[in-house]
Amino acid sequence: MDVFVLFSKLVMLTLVPYVLASQGTMLGGRAGVFNVAQEGIMLAGASVGFLGAYLSGGNLVQGALLAMVMGGLFGLALAYFTTTLKMDQFVIGLALFFIGLALSTLLYKLVVGVTLTPPLIPTLQELPLPGLSHIPVLGEVLFKQNILVYLAILLSLALYVFLYHTGPGMALRAVGENPMAADSLGVNVSAMRYLATISGSMLIGLAGAYLPMVYTGTFTEGMVRGRGWLSIALTFFGGWSPHLIFLGSLFFAAVEVLAFRVQVTGVGVPYQFVLMLPYVATILVMLPTFRRLRIPAFLGRNYDRERRALL
Amino acid sequence: MGASFVAAGIFLGALGFDVPRAYATILFTSFRTPNGFVQTLLKFIPLLLLALSFTVPLAAWKFNIGGEGQLLAGAIGSAAVGILLSGLPAFLLLPLGIMTGTLSGAVWAALPAWLLYRFGINEILTTVLMNFISFGLLDYVTTEVWRDPAAGHPTSIPIGAGAHLPLLISSPPLHAGIVVAIGVAIAIYFFISRTTAGYELLATGANPRASLIHGIAVRRISLLALILGGALAGLAGAIEVAGVHHRLIEGMQSNYLLLGILIGLIARGNILAVPFVAFSIAVLEVGARALQRTMMVPLEMVFIIEGLILVFVLLSDVVRRR
Repeated sequence: MDVFVLFSKLVMLTLVPYVLASQGTMLGGRAGVFNVAQEGIMLAGASVGFLGAYLSGGNLVQGALLAMVMGGLFGLALAYFTTTLKMDQFVIGLALFFIGLALSTLLYKLVVGVTLTPPLIPTLQELPLPGLSHIPVLGEVLFKQNILVYLAILLSLALYVFLYHTGPGMALRAVGENPMAADSLGVNVSAMRYLATISGSMLIGLAGAYLPMVYTGTFTEGMVRGRGWLSIALTFFGGWSPHLIFLGSLFFAAVEVLAFRVQVTGVGVPYQFVLMLPYVATILVMLPTFRRLRIPAFLGRNYDRERRALL
Repeated sequence: MGASFVAAGIFLGALGFDVPRAYATILFTSFRTPNGFVQTLLKFIPLLLLALSFTVPLAAWKFNIGGEGQLLAGAIGSAAVGILLSGLPAFLLLPLGIMTGTLSGAVWAALPAWLLYRFGINEILTTVLMNFISFGLLDYVTTEVWRDPAAGHPTSIPIGAGAHLPLLISSPPLHAGIVVAIGVAIAIYFFISRTTAGYELLATGANPRASLIHGIAVRRISLLALILGGALAGLAGAIEVAGVHHRLIEGMQSNYLLLGILIGLIARGNILAVPFVAFSIAVLEVGARALQRTMMVPLEMVFIIEGLILVFVLLSDVVRRR
């Protein structure tokens, strides 16, 4: 296989957790709920996803569903504390981050215990699409991937159509921009915030489960390695819109693949500096772009319909 | 508090552990033996400093999630002095090492703080990303620059004896870092509650718009608060090197960042409450380690107790508001 084709194929493969986690973040944010627990939710998703598959003898579907349920529970907690109890979103987000991180290791230790060799689950196989996968270059890159790659692409498309071309999507955006106006038009603001936060967190949980199911076949402590935090940055770059988030995740995935390749082959730079690349690149890209980005006007704030004016 | 222990107790019991004995271990290990108490104090030092490094910026409603990176930057900075100038006498080397470490932590936080000041970039993101960069840096210095070939785990060569913190008690060993940490905590408390700058810090956090209108340089206050937070975490790193490890070890940051955030949130940003919460968490941590040794209960169990305490504390705010 040509180097360029292989690189592109790996980028598409590496894209998935970024896309899922960032679209999940975007969904909640569009309703005004700024989730900062991604890293914890992804870790919990990775742990539960792995354990679900491991205990059922390698049933990845069951693992993935469990990871989504786990993510959904975190989303429910976030929505309840912020929307119903009107508590600060960052504080609750950090608390959930802490709990997710602790829970991921605890569950793994309770179920598997300490072993010399890590228990393994089979990793997700490629599912070549009939016909399409025979197209030269494009077929290899786009249509000979695992099912979650297709899902990530379709999800981004669907979210774009939903947000900009349907009534409920417009209502969701209104809730994140001006909940008072949305409320006066009869949109159920609380319900919107709950739904968006829960479904977004389910995607984040699934993003976590992708790591053991595709990369490693097992769960290790802290295996998310900052991807949750990077996906917040990615959501900002993407201006909280699904199509730009998808394009941005191409960049994040490319940097990760590049860092990995350079680490294996070596270029005369100590590998530790290569591993810093994704984080340094993220900070550098934020420099010129951050100010100009569009964010939902009500992001990170809680709506209280009994208050007279929005500060 | 009580409710979280009951909830965690039910969970422990459901898993088939002896609940009363588990709680006796968690709560009393720190007070049963001199060794247990000293272990608790040694945990208390970094926890107190990291909790302050989160709480001080929090007073201005800025979130410093980069304590881990700042601690490691401080550790690397002070170890660099301790290794490169190891021949210097103690009265020069020790303060130089501690000061370099504190400064390194401040510099590590200054970048995100400046990005916030200059470009308005969200500090949560940048402080976290700096953590991951510091992991790479620590790995580099412990495997390439100052590698100790005798150690199996990435570890640096030891610092000069002149850079060691003196011991207050020799057996079980307790170093003088405890005095430094408590002194710094008192200084921070007076800074925030008794000085103009401290007042401006609190005002910025309470209502940035009103503060701005009344002539407080809100953005500069946030910048300085984050840098001060970084200095505190850097000091923690320097103390860990000079007092505990006497070298750099990969993973020496432990889970101090997370626990620091947890302590800051449980104390609800109240500087006066931070030392007491930090001590309680240190007791729980030492107890949990004993529990893992004697009853095979996973260490992470104590996180669940801590997480539940946090949730109940936060909920009590809501109840009070009604």
